[in-house]
Amino acid sequence: MNPVELAQTTLAAPQGDMSFLALFFQAHLVVKLVMIGLVGASIWCWAIIVDKWLLFARTKRQMTRFETVFWSGQSLEELYRTLSGRANHSMSALFIAAMREWKRSHEGARPAVASLRQRIDRVMDVTIAREAERLEARLMVLATVGSAAPFIGLFGTVWGIMTSFQAIAASKSTNLAVVAPGIAEALLATALGLLAAIPAVIAYNKLSADAGKLTARMEGFADEFSAILSRQIDERS
Amino acid sequence: MRVGLIASIGGHLAVLVWGVVSFPEARPFDVGPVDTLPVDLVPISEITRLRIGEKDAEVREIEATKPAEKPAPEPDPETPPAETVAEKPREAAPEPTPAPAPAPAPAPAPEPTPPAPPEPAPEPEPAPQAAEAEPAPAPAPEPEPKVAETPPPLPASARPRSKPTPPPRVDPPQDFNPNQIAALLNKVEPAGGGSPSASDAPASLGSREGLSNVTMSQSELDALRGQISRCWSPPAGTAGASDLNVRLKVFLTPSGEVDQRPEVMNSSGNPSFTIAAESARRAVLRCAPYSLPAEKYDSWREVIINFDPRDLLGG
Repeated sequence: MNPVELAQTTLAAPQGDMSFLALFFQAHLVVKLVMIGLVGASIWCWAIIVDKWLLFARTKRQMTRFETVFWSGQSLEELYRTLSGRANHSMSALFIAAMREWKRSHEGARPAVASLRQRIDRVMDVTIAREAERLEARLMVLATVGSAAPFIGLFGTVWGIMTSFQAIAASKSTNLAVVAPGIAEALLATALGLLAAIPAVIAYNKLSADAGKLTARMEGFADEFSAILSRQIDERS
Repeated sequence: MRVGLIASIGGHLAVLVWGVVSFPEARPFDVGPVDTLPVDLVPISEITRLRIGEKDAEVREIEATKPAEKPAPEPDPETPPAETVAEKPREAAPEPTPAPAPAPAPAPAPEPTPPAPPEPAPEPEPAPQAAEAEPAPAPAPEPEPKVAETPPPLPASARPRSKPTPPPRVDPPQDFNPNQIAALLNKVEPAGGGSPSASDAPASLGSREGLSNVTMSQSELDALRGQISRCWSPPAGTAGASDLNVRLKVFLTPSGEVDQRPEVMNSSGNPSFTIAAESARRAVLRCAPYSLPAEKYDSWREVIINFDPRDLLGG
């Protein structure tokens, strides 16, 4: 065969099926599974990111609103009465928990005020822990995906390249046209891995910092409220 | 959570659609048809071999005079001069050569012979002049009428007169040089390089002529070796012929003549080594005007040449 002809035919061969979907469909089963898993991880990560983003924004808004109400000079009893009816989160939950403990301690004939301060602190600690857990839930998924996805993608790539080398061995030709499609589809796996990992890592850092900030804000409020209540306790006794 | 999931799936689908739409296919590179270049691997000896004439090749007459006149600027493998020069001595000279036997050390007088003997066949003129110097070559030159029409080549023949200087320095054969113990111990002969730096002189700060591009190509060196080995008849049949590896340092003039007595640079315990060395020296003197690229004279002013009987005997 004329070498020029040969070059042209081999050049012409791989054209036409190099699109994303074609690359995916002609990949080996293992590579396909890896790609599907990575796309799934990416979807899940973005779902968590969006969810957390909305949750944090909502939580921050609620806190600000609650603080303005709380420091507006309104009576605590009244505030407790308005809030106790609905589902509460973050700071309002904290407030409700402390107030409930206070109220329970003053029910009955003999108010149990001796260790009331410790009990209120304990209750607020538990509430903060529960709220923080709610804020940080599923953030570990982001961390895991961020660190593992590149490796998973790399695994797909290695597998795909192994396949292309087997193709070389089978066709007994080192022509680039034989190797290129396999390597292209293999590299797609790494690309997907990075695509899933990069937003996950960035979002994990951002969101965990935000969660820490919100928790610290709740702890600050808990300390202030605890100071107020203990002053009340001391004044009454 | 549902909001996030929906948003995420929607976003991924959007990205996928965008990717499919905007990167439909990889655009193939525009590669024109590649002209394949046939490449042959040719060992250097294949080229240089061509210069070594075959003994039974037919004799060509005309170009014989040229090499003396102008040293071939480039070692074109097919240039006939070298061949014809080679053949003439083979045919005509062999008889005279026994006479120049005095050439070896003892008698400095016959020294000027070298240029003459190989020449006689091609050029008639040198013959008379050379005849005064030594009697031997006289029979050789049958003055062919046809060569008479090529007078120019004389410069080469005129040389013998100006060259008598070499005789005075008849150095005794250096059998043992304490400075070369390492070289003596080293049985692997360094290839005879064409550059003067191969001598034991310290490296200089630059070439004498200030030429920058003076290294001889391997084929040129091979050509020189081919020219010399043609005239060399190693002492055949001696014991331990493999020991008779002679290294000669040859001093050349710009016109390709031999400047001084070639120095023997190695030694051997073999009793017939001196014979081999003398035969090598004779060979160098006999083929004297060498055609080498004149512009690279700086690199072949001193040339070290290995005479290895194995190369010749074993082919």
